[in-house]
Amino acid sequence: MKPTVLIADDEEAPRAQLLAALRRVWPEADLVAECVNGVDAWDAFLEHDPAVCFLDIRMPGLSGIEVAQRIDARAQVVFVTAHGDHALAAFDAGAVDYVMKPVDDSRLAQAVARVRQRAAAPEAPAAAGLQDMLAELAAQVRRPPPLAVIQAGIGKEVRLIRTEDVVYFEADARYTRVVYRSDGSDGEALIRTPLKELLAQLDAQHFWQVHRSVIVSQRHIASAVRVDEGSMHITLRGRSERLPVSRHFQSLFKGQ
Amino acid sequence: MSQERIDWSQFWYPGPARIFTPEELSRAGGQQPSRTMVAIVTLNVAIVAMMVMQAAPPQATAQLTAILAVTSVAGLQFGRRLWRQPTRRALNIYFGVLALACGIVVGFLADHDGDRAVRRWLIYTCASGALLVSLSLWFLAVFRSAQIAARLRELDDQDRAVDMAQQLAAAQIQPHFLFNSLASLQHWVQQKDDRAAPMLEALTAFLRATLPLFNRHRLRLGDEAEAVHQYFEVMRLRLGDRLRYRIEITPAAAAVQVPPGLLLTLVENAIEHGVQASLGGGEVQLQADVVAGQLGVEVRDPGPGPAPNALPGVGLANSRTRLQQAFGPHATITLSAAPGGGGLARIDCPLPTRSAP
Repeated sequence: MKPTVLIADDEEAPRAQLLAALRRVWPEADLVAECVNGVDAWDAFLEHDPAVCFLDIRMPGLSGIEVAQRIDARAQVVFVTAHGDHALAAFDAGAVDYVMKPVDDSRLAQAVARVRQRAAAPEAPAAAGLQDMLAELAAQVRRPPPLAVIQAGIGKEVRLIRTEDVVYFEADARYTRVVYRSDGSDGEALIRTPLKELLAQLDAQHFWQVHRSVIVSQRHIASAVRVDEGSMHITLRGRSERLPVSRHFQSLFKGQ
Repeated sequence: MSQERIDWSQFWYPGPARIFTPEELSRAGGQQPSRTMVAIVTLNVAIVAMMVMQAAPPQATAQLTAILAVTSVAGLQFGRRLWRQPTRRALNIYFGVLALACGIVVGFLADHDGDRAVRRWLIYTCASGALLVSLSLWFLAVFRSAQIAARLRELDDQDRAVDMAQQLAAAQIQPHFLFNSLASLQHWVQQKDDRAAPMLEALTAFLRATLPLFNRHRLRLGDEAEAVHQYFEVMRLRLGDRLRYRIEITPAAAAVQVPPGLLLTLVENAIEHGVQASLGGGEVQLQADVVAGQLGVEVRDPGPGPAPNALPGVGLANSRTRLQQAFGPHATITLSAAPGGGGLARIDCPLPTRSAP
């Protein structure tokens, strides 16, 4: 089976350069996604489940660090960065794989060799403290405060929905469906912001992504039900619908 | 070979030639001699006085005590004053006072009758005491003057080093910017992409325009705007349609002399946090004008503005310091969320009424 690869860089030329270099040094790799920002990269990861992700660090939406945090140990991550990045010192200390821009073939070949070596020994333990280091680096990223109000156009009216009233968001074709409960009554609205972009603007403590197309307010979750090996759904407080939990997110509900 | 010339004036008017201003004296500090030094000098005076009293004939004890007491107190007092302000004038006045006092005592003793040997002994003691005190004062004035001069030199060197570091920091080209730009350039050259030539041109023009930032204290705002223009151009090529920019600088604002690096810092900040960090990108506007003797510079970006409790970065703190060094405490740099959305960085600074040289 060909190893699947995702690459992400918000600038076109360095992305194309990395891709060209990758084709030269690792011709058998199968490029499954080429992403132009952090939210695309995370969404594409959920969709394609690549084995290796090459992530630029400074990207809009989610930084490469934040994407790697979400990926956790489910894929091998190689950071792509330029001189002067504050994360470099931490990478060197934590034995994280990275290549420098402009990418040169020999350095990229070394990184690829390490990735393949690790893939051949699947039981190799993940680098200790990697998540802690990523969390520390992610905390240094300047973030705007989380979204407080969502503006939804309903006919001729623009309705302001407080994010704290939202029960869940669901991707719906080209829109995002917002299901909310305010002042005791239920409501629904469609907004144009794609779910993957919304994700980066929400408070991650409060809103949990449980599926590529579902983000749910953690306060409204009543239970998680395992249906069979590999499939799970959640039920909501005071509502009848069931929302799917995809494989990537089942570890959120492990019981105690 | 130039030979060091003898300063003949030191023979008839001895003492340190340099006169320190009150500002220099307070900057150098150490207005009071250290307690250790005072203790040592006092002890030495006491020992000399005791030795003299031991050697003195018993008939002279009363006069000698009076002379020693007056000389010691006066000498210490003069020394203290010279320490505070080691001037040639004060030193010579003290010399005069000592000589006069010595003369009066000698004259008084010459008229006095009594034992000739005792009288001569008193006169010699008095004269050598005055000489000893004068020599000590001279040494103290020269030493203290050299000490102040050395301290001032040291402080100047320190200031220069800080100044230099700040200038370098201002002019420092972000390695991240440089290597990312080179990555694009390298790719476009390999691919024979049409953007390679304009990229190389803009990057070269940017580097050339930033050179004066390294070695100037002040730069015309218009000159720095040229560096900023090239920076924008490089970033526009890299980011494609994610970045648009507009520069509007009035001739009056372009002529203002500013510390270098301010505009570039604000624009780098606007692109990094306002454009590169946003999914859609947008327009960055740089505007500068002079209204009622006040320079106003605005950089607007499409980003979210500063996080409410964000600490200002090193670059901004550095810019603020340098702006206030140049224009005084009323010059300000503020970051805020613009009323109509977007981030806004603003420099306001009152210009000196007489334009700076």
